[in-house]
This record gives sequence, C-alpha cells and structure tokens, in this order.
Amino acid sequence: MAKKNVLNRDKRKYLLPMERKWGAETHCYLPELTDQLDRSRIDRRDFLRQACLLGMTSAAAYATADVLLGRPLGSVARAAETPKPGGTLRVSMAVQEMTDPATFDWTEKSNVARFIVEYLTRTRADNTTVPYLAERWEAGEDLKTWVFHLRKGIKWSNGDDFTAADVAHNMARWLDPATGSSNLGLFDAMVEEYDTGEKGADGKPKMAKRAIGNAIEVIDDNTIKFNLRKAALAIPENFYNYPAAIVHRSFGKDTPADLSKHPIGTGPFDLAEFRVGERAILKKARKWWAGDFHLDEIHYFDHGQDTNAWVAAIISNQVDTLYRLPVESVETIKRIPTLDVLTTTTAQTAVARFRVTEKPFDNVNLRRAVLACMDHNELASKGFNNLGVPAQNDHVCPIHPDYADDMPKPKRDIELAKKLLKDAGYENGVKLTISNGDTDGPWMTSTLSVLKAQCAPAGIDVTINKMPSAQYWENWTKAPWGYTSWTHRPLGTMVLSLAYRTGVPWNESAYSDPTFDKALDEAEAELDVNARKEKLKVCRQILRDAAVIPQPFWRQISKAASKKVIGLDVHPTLYHQFQNVWLDS
Amino acid sequence: MVDITPTRTTTPEPIARPPSTMRRWLESIALLRESWVGSIGAVIVLGFALMAVLAPLIAPYDPNLPMVPFAFPLSAAPDGGVFWLGTDHLGRDMLSRIVWGGQRVLIYATVATMAAYIVGVLMGLMAGYFRGWTDEIITFIANVILSFPVMVLYVLIIAKFGASGANIVLAVVFASSPGIMRIVRSLTLDIATREYVIAAQTRGESSWYIMLWEILPNARGPLIVDFCLRMGYTTITIGALGFLGLGLPPPDPDWGGMITETRSFVLAGFPHMAIIPAVAVSLLVLGFNMLADGLREVALRD
Amino acid sequence: MLNLILRRLGIMLLIMLVVSMLLFFMNEGDPKLVARSVLGPFAQDQQLEAWIQQNGYDRPIMVRYVDWLVRLSQGDLGDSIIYKVPVNEIFWDRLANTGILAGVTFLVMVALALVLGVLAGIKEGSIQDRVISFVSIITTSIPEYASAVILGGIFVFWLGWLPGTSSMTAGFNPVELILPVMVLTLYGFGYIARMTRASMAEVMTSQYIRTAVLKGIPYNRVVMRHALRNALIAPFTVIMLQFNWLLSGVVVTEYAFGYKGFGALLLEAALRRDIYVIEACGIVAVFVAVTTQTIGDIVYTYLNPRIRFS
Repeated sequence: MAKKNVLNRDKRKYLLPMERKWGAETHCYLPELTDQLDRSRIDRRDFLRQACLLGMTSAAAYATADVLLGRPLGSVARAAETPKPGGTLRVSMAVQEMTDPATFDWTEKSNVARFIVEYLTRTRADNTTVPYLAERWEAGEDLKTWVFHLRKGIKWSNGDDFTAADVAHNMARWLDPATGSSNLGLFDAMVEEYDTGEKGADGKPKMAKRAIGNAIEVIDDNTIKFNLRKAALAIPENFYNYPAAIVHRSFGKDTPADLSKHPIGTGPFDLAEFRVGERAILKKARKWWAGDFHLDEIHYFDHGQDTNAWVAAIISNQVDTLYRLPVESVETIKRIPTLDVLTTTTAQTAVARFRVTEKPFDNVNLRRAVLACMDHNELASKGFNNLGVPAQNDHVCPIHPDYADDMPKPKRDIELAKKLLKDAGYENGVKLTISNGDTDGPWMTSTLSVLKAQCAPAGIDVTINKMPSAQYWENWTKAPWGYTSWTHRPLGTMVLSLAYRTGVPWNESAYSDPTFDKALDEAEAELDVNARKEKLKVCRQILRDAAVIPQPFWRQISKAASKKVIGLDVHPTLYHQFQNVWLDS
Repeated sequence: MVDITPTRTTTPEPIARPPSTMRRWLESIALLRESWVGSIGAVIVLGFALMAVLAPLIAPYDPNLPMVPFAFPLSAAPDGGVFWLGTDHLGRDMLSRIVWGGQRVLIYATVATMAAYIVGVLMGLMAGYFRGWTDEIITFIANVILSFPVMVLYVLIIAKFGASGANIVLAVVFASSPGIMRIVRSLTLDIATREYVIAAQTRGESSWYIMLWEILPNARGPLIVDFCLRMGYTTITIGALGFLGLGLPPPDPDWGGMITETRSFVLAGFPHMAIIPAVAVSLLVLGFNMLADGLREVALRD
Repeated sequence: MLNLILRRLGIMLLIMLVVSMLLFFMNEGDPKLVARSVLGPFAQDQQLEAWIQQNGYDRPIMVRYVDWLVRLSQGDLGDSIIYKVPVNEIFWDRLANTGILAGVTFLVMVALALVLGVLAGIKEGSIQDRVISFVSIITTSIPEYASAVILGGIFVFWLGWLPGTSSMTAGFNPVELILPVMVLTLYGFGYIARMTRASMAEVMTSQYIRTAVLKGIPYNRVVMRHALRNALIAPFTVIMLQFNWLLSGVVVTEYAFGYKGFGALLLEAALRRDIYVIEACGIVAVFVAVTTQTIGDIVYTYLNPRIRFS
C-alpha cells in the first residue's frame, strides 16, 4: 500500500493549480485519485467521496471534477429562488428519549438532537463528506493519523467557546466501554483489547477494551489529532454517524448525561418542549454560526407506530413532512396535488438469509436451488411496489463506493434449480419454512409471497411463518431461514464485515469461511478505489457461490412533503438536514 | 347474591320440555319465519355463507393479483371484465377480496365460536351440576378472565403468542368460553332440579349422560340465541384483530386487515377501499344480531 | 349489607392478585426474554447474562414476584423499554387522555341510551319503539373500526367538517374528540338502550303503574315519578359493566384515530414488548373493570329491595 502512496511526480500537475487556487492541505494520495478520474478509471462520484474524505474541500473536489470532466464550474450551487425566512416546519416522527447522544440507537433520536448539538463533519445526500464543526482535516500518508482543524469562533449556547477540549471529551467518552456507545466499534482503530487480570467463569482471562494510549492528542484550542493503530479511511464519515454528535465538555462530567434536561449545543435551536412519545418543539434561539437557518421552529409529532396515522396526518395537513413514507402509500400520496413524494436509492435491504449450520440449509445445493429460482426483477417490482432495485445476493449495493458493476447478474433458471435440488437429495421436492416478522412493514410478506410463487415450479414449497416483529427480533440470529431487514451503510466492506465475517455478533447466517475473511481483510486495507472494487468482487463471488443470502432487492426510500416545503432532501440514512429548507406560503 | 353476566345476552329463559332430539333443535330455528327481523337476519347470514361456499365461482379474480391500482367501483378491467367494487391501492380486485375474506372470516368465526362453546358448555355443565368446589373453582377462573376488558386480553394474548389462525381461535376460546360457561351454569342449576333429571338420576344414569343428554338439550333455546350473538362478536373480534395488525397473516384477504391497510386513503379520495370491507363486516354482524333477536323473540313467544 | 360489601371487596382483591400474577408470569416468567426485550435484538448472550445478574433476574420467580408487588404498591412501575423513561412519566398522562375520551363518551352514550330506551319502553310495540329498537340493532352491529372508517369518509372526506386524526398535535382540541366519541357512542348506546327499554316496558306493565294510571294521576307524572325510578335500576348495572366494554372499545378507537391514550399505549407496548408498560396497563385496565363491576354489584343490591332483603 505504501508503494501506491508514493507521490508520482507526473501527477502533481493535477494538484498544483488546485492547491494554489483553493489553498487546501492535500493528502498525498489526492493526485493519484485525480489522475484516475482523468483517465476515467473511477467515476465522478467515487472521486468526490474519496477526495472529500481525504480532506479536500468539497468545493475543490467538485471544481476538480468539473474541470477534468468538462462541466462548467459552479454547477454545485443550486439555482434557487430567494428563501423566505421564518415559519414552522411540522414533521411526523417518533419522539423518543434523548438522554445521551453517544448511546443513541435510533436515527429519530438524533434528528431531534441534530438542531441542538452538531457534528464534526457532514455527509451530504450525495454521499460526499464535507466540513461542519471541523473546518478541514488531513490524513497521514499511511492513514494512521488524522488531524482535524476546528472552525474558530463557534460558541456553545451557554457562551463557552467551542474548542478541541470538547472534541477530546466526546472522543474519550465514546472510546470508554462504560459509556456504551456504538461509536466504540466505529473507531475500532483507536481501541485495543487488554487482559483485565481477572478470570472469567470459563477460566479464560477476561478481556476488555480501552482506548489506545495516545489515541487523542489535543494540539491547540482548534486542532486535535487522532492516532490509530491501523489504517482507516472512513474516519471523517464516522464523525457524522448519528451517535457522534458533539456535546459540551461538561456533559456527563459536571452535568448528568441527559441532553433533554441540559441542552447545551452549538446549533441555533433550543428545546422548548419535549414529551417522549408525543412531541418535541424546537425554537430558533440564536444566530447560527454557519449562516442563515431559514426556519424559526421545528415541531416533531409522534403519531405512534401505525403508518396509517402518519399518512393520515400529512393528508389532513397536520404535518408538512414525514420521517418516512411507507412504501404501500407512495402511490396514494402521488395522487394528492398538494403533496410531493421524494425518493432516494439506499443500501437498505432485507436478506432472506439461510442459517448455514442448520439442516437442511447446511446443504449448499439446496441453497443454490433457491437462488436459482429467484427472478430479481419481479421481486423488486411486485415485492416492493416498483420501488425496489434488483439486488444480486451479495449484500453490496450499486450505490456503495466499492461496488463493481461488471459482475454477472443472477438469472432465474428453473431447470438448474431442479438439477441442484436433485443433487441436494430432494428429487421429489422439499418443504421449507421461512420466518418473517414484517419488521419493516407488510411489504416483507408481499416479497416472500412472490418468492414463494417463484420457488414453486422447481418443487420447493415455501411456507411463510409470520410472527410479530418483536418475536422475530428476539430470535433473528437463530431462525434456520429468516427474512431480516438491514439498514443502509455507506460501504460494502462495512456490511460484509458486520454480517458475514466468522463469529461476529451480527452474523445471523453463521457463515464462516477463512478464505472469505482473508479476502475481506484485504479489501478493507485497500485504498485504491478500483483495486478495492476488484478485491471486494472476490468476497462477493465467494458469498454468491456459497449461496448464503437470497437477497431480492435494495429499497428506495420515500418521504412525503407538502409542496410548500422547499429545499428538502432525502438523506439515504434519513438524517434531517434542514439548513436549506424554507417554507413558501 | 346476584349473578351479573357481562356478556350481551338476555337472562336465560330455560324452556321446560322433555328430552328432545336433533329435530327439536332444528324446529326452534324453523320457528324463525314468525319473526321478520329474524328472517332478514337469516337471509343475510345465509347469503354470506353461500358466498363463502361459492367463493371460487363468485370471485372474478385472484384476490392477491395486482392489476390496476386505485380503480373505482364499476371501472373496466383490462381483460374486458368489470371491477364491480373497484380495486385497492395495490390493484387487487375488491370484490374478490371481499368474497375470499368473507370465507376466511366465516370459517375462523365458526371454528372459534364452536370451540369456545365446547369448552364453555362442558365447564358450565360441570359447575352447575356438580356444584360445590368444582363450581367455586370454575366460577373463579371465569371471573378472573372476565375481569379483563376483552380487547385488552386479546391484545395481550396475540402480542405474546403471535398472530396465527390457530392462536386467534385459542384466544377466542380463552376469552369467550367463561361467558358461555356462566350461561350454561345458570341454566344447568335450574334444569338440574327438574323431574326428568331426577328421574334419570334414580335410574342410575352417569353424571355425564345426564349433563349431555338430559340437561344440555333442554338448555338449547337460550344457547342458540347466544351462539348467534357470539358469532357476531367473534366476527367483530377477528376484524378488530386484523385492524390492529394482530390478525390473520397477509396477504390473503381479511376484512379487518383490508380496512387498516387502506383506511388512510379514505382521506385521499379513495373511500371505497376501506368502506366496502367496513360495510361487509357490519352487514354480517347485523345478520347474526338480527337472527339472534328473531330467535329470542320467537322463544319468548313460546 | 356490610357483609356483602366486604365479600365483594375480598373477591375483588383476590382477582386482582391472580391477575397480577398472570401478568407477571406471562411477561417476566423467562428472565432471558426480559433481558432480550430490554437490551434489544442486537445484544449478545453474555450481555443478557450480565443484565440478568445485575438486575436480580436470577432469583426465583416467586421472590421476584413479591418484590415486584411491593414496588408496584409503592407506585414504582419500572422504566419503559421503548421510551427509556419511568413508566410513571408517560402512563398517567395517557390514562388521563383516555379518561377524557371515556368520560365524554360515557355522558353522551348514557344520556342518549336512557332517553331512547325510555321512549321505546313507554309504549311497547309502538312505531317509536320499533324504530328505536331497529336502529339500535343496526348500530350495535357496526364495530368501532368500521364506523371509524365510514364516519371518517362522511365527515372528513365528503363534508370536510372534522379532522381525520385526533392526535392533538396542536394542543388539546375538543373538535378532534368528536369523531372518536361518535364512534364509541354509536357502538355502545344500543345495548344500554335495549336494556332500558326492556326494563321500562316491564315496569310499565306492572301492577302499581297500572293502578296509578287508573287512579287518574297524569300519565307524564306517573312516568317521571314512578316508572323511571324503578326502570333505571337494571340499566344501572349494565352501565357499570359498560366500563369494561368501553376500555375494549378505547383500544380500537384510539388506534383508529391516533389518539394518545391508554389503549394506544397498551397496543404499542404489546406489539413492541415493552413489558413494564404492558404490566402497568394490564393492571390498571383490570382494576378499573373490576372496581366498576364491584360498585355496580353493590349498588344494584342496595337499590333492589328484592335482593337486599332476601
């Protein structure tokens, strides 16, 4: 890897004008990246994401891309009408407890907090990560050190200055296992395992996690450095993960760790009213350091679990937008003249994963037979109201930056399925049962009904075992065959690492293959975009051959909004970014 | 002490008659023609029953087949047919869904009510005939179950054990057999003092023979009325569970589930999708209630 | 009389005890499931074990039950799993909302039912009797979820008079209460009306009313002074029992209109396994039902001399 990072003298030509023009600190890999874009070895999207992660300003990245690809400069800027300031945006969304941002486990919680406490970086709806509380950042050549320069002049709502001490306090809390933050796993490169000296019940020494010695280094008031024990590229992206909101340095130390009771933040909004399960009222209380925030108030209303109630609320104009529009209602909303449907492709999906250690699913030919029955196009259209994007049974999504498009798409082949079934020893057909909790909506049953119909001609009789979603989640890792929903994650390697690596907690398929694990390690360590795609292809092929997950489609997600709401994006992770939103009367 | 029955039945009116056969059971139903309310009820219920039996012939389409979404009633179907009741948001033919959904509701309501009756009748006979400790225990258990608001009980049971057809039947048995038990118990307490029962006892007949062949047939009048009412409640219950998302598994049609899936579209200008199943369930329940009312009227006239 | 009251209260206590046991065993019988509900689907087995030990769930179930009863009697309902706040913080608000809904419904329903029942029962077999009886059969046949949709179609979509949901997003708004109250009343009033009618009809044919009429006392006065008082005894019990039905109807109606009440809370808790909320809701629902039933019983006995002196 070090070899690739050596700066190629020829490639400096891409860098120097930009460097001069934008005055950006630049990572040594940027010229290489720029060269790849120039030679069309990577596309614009890949370039933008990676360049931004490596610390190039987004303006510079966009400008570079535009120059090289021949687009007019300044195409980023949105031609828009002049925003009208003021007004209240009413949103239907679950209002959950909001104590410690570090331990948030639902995006909804972070969305209320988002206007009070802010993040070091921001990932936009187009998957590029841009500065936020951090003005810029630099990565070391080996990607093992990261320096973040914080924006000057930002004040907390209590009057204190925002400094590196705040960031250090947050990072220390995240890396302390006692906090119970899921960020601990995200910043795994700054964490080590050590022997506590105690012995567990099984006689083995008890291991625990802690931050590595010099992980956090405050350089001055506005500069902080992170030292990693292994290379990591996604550090800036991680700072926008929803539990990574930066709280005041007194949080959880001088004041109890409860944001709803001690809401000190850098954002422009105050929490005026907060009733769990009912409403959260945010009121603009001060000027925002980042510029104009058009809205005066943001009101969140909890309409419960019943998606019908959400839809009814927007139809009867009780709210202006929904956190999420259930796929079953998309067609209806489209027919209402005062409402818009906003849709975006995500890497959200659901996989009908086999538990490969359970009979009869330990038989690879049986698993392959099911895969051979699948018609992904039909599943994506009929199983998800035409809002599905056909998937390829390997859990890596076309919108992932490490996705390679040149692998063959799976095809339905009933004759092959019959042959595989015969090889598996089920000449006269087989009865299989799949567990489903409709955990993300009734469409899951629809999908499985389509799958059931597709499997029937091959002699595979599928029974759908429908159970309450709570019951499904109680046993989701144990069901021999189950239909599990997975949320969006920014990287293909991230998903595969979470779900299919040997022995990891969320490995619901019990899949275990050292070759796969090794291939995945290699892909994760690769910085070069194209090489990474190639290496991930190896992993994907292993997963496909092992026939672990029949994966019907990727889910497009939709939002409904009143036509008077201008500038609303659908973020693939449903994060609320309302800084450009304004209301047209 | 007064016995308060928290079920919507009239005070039982035991009919003193000698032991009777199946024919007598049918005769009391045949008396219906004397009551126009009962006759209408019978026609409605029979109509739905006929629809359920003939579902494959009546339903024009596959109830789960998506065709043209949001078609209003009487629109033309692409295959040249007509969507008599329109289609739903996924383009499935409403008429076919109502017909098949009706079959499903009727089957489950009948099975569940019958099962509840078997349990309730046996418990009631035992409590009323053996009295003493048996009675105390059975009555107490019944009181405990009846102290739950019914829907609270259903929600607790279904959410705990899952929404399958079998669980719904079990929940209905659990929740409604205590009510049946109370009625049968008070009828038994009364009938057990009749001469023909005492005669049978002196003949040396077994307790179960007396309960099932001497007492039960003579309690039939109020029980038939109650059965019809309960069929109505069970229909309501199955619909309510479907409505709350605890009902029979989709995608096969179920009236309550159909209402809940499409009810937000009423406001969007497509009221037929939710209102048609709402009317269907109300009509069927009305049939059962009118039938029960007619039977009661006839019984009182006797 | 005192004896009867004591006996009734005793039974009530016993029932509450058994119900609490049922609720507890059903929800907290398996410590592993409790830990799973609290820690969520992604927790590891070791985490579950640790939680079970930390929170004393490794103790025998009867010990835990008694412990739970003690805490319950001190007003500690535990913490909601979904909302991560003490159940007390959300529960009573929701109960109060349901109280408002049920209270208004109750007033409307009872007034309507008594008036219609009396009107029908005064002249058994008359046109007004038949019309009222027939209407009440129809309305008792329309379950809440059906009338919610039908009335929603009429008043929200077609006429545009009323709001479609009752989530009270902009603060308490009496207009949003109209549809839920209509729905509950429609389904519930028929039964009380029929009971009142039957009771009234029975009283009107009784000896003393006939005598009073024959004596020449004005008909209206006979009805108001003599008939009504006696005719309302039977419906009273029915009305008290109606609380039990109302709590059932409230679950469906609150869900239908997105009303933030106790029923909606119970449903959500049950669907998402928020066990401490389920327990609180279950106990309170049964308490309300059993208390009203007991009061109904006692008052009925007190009002009805035939039973009081037997």
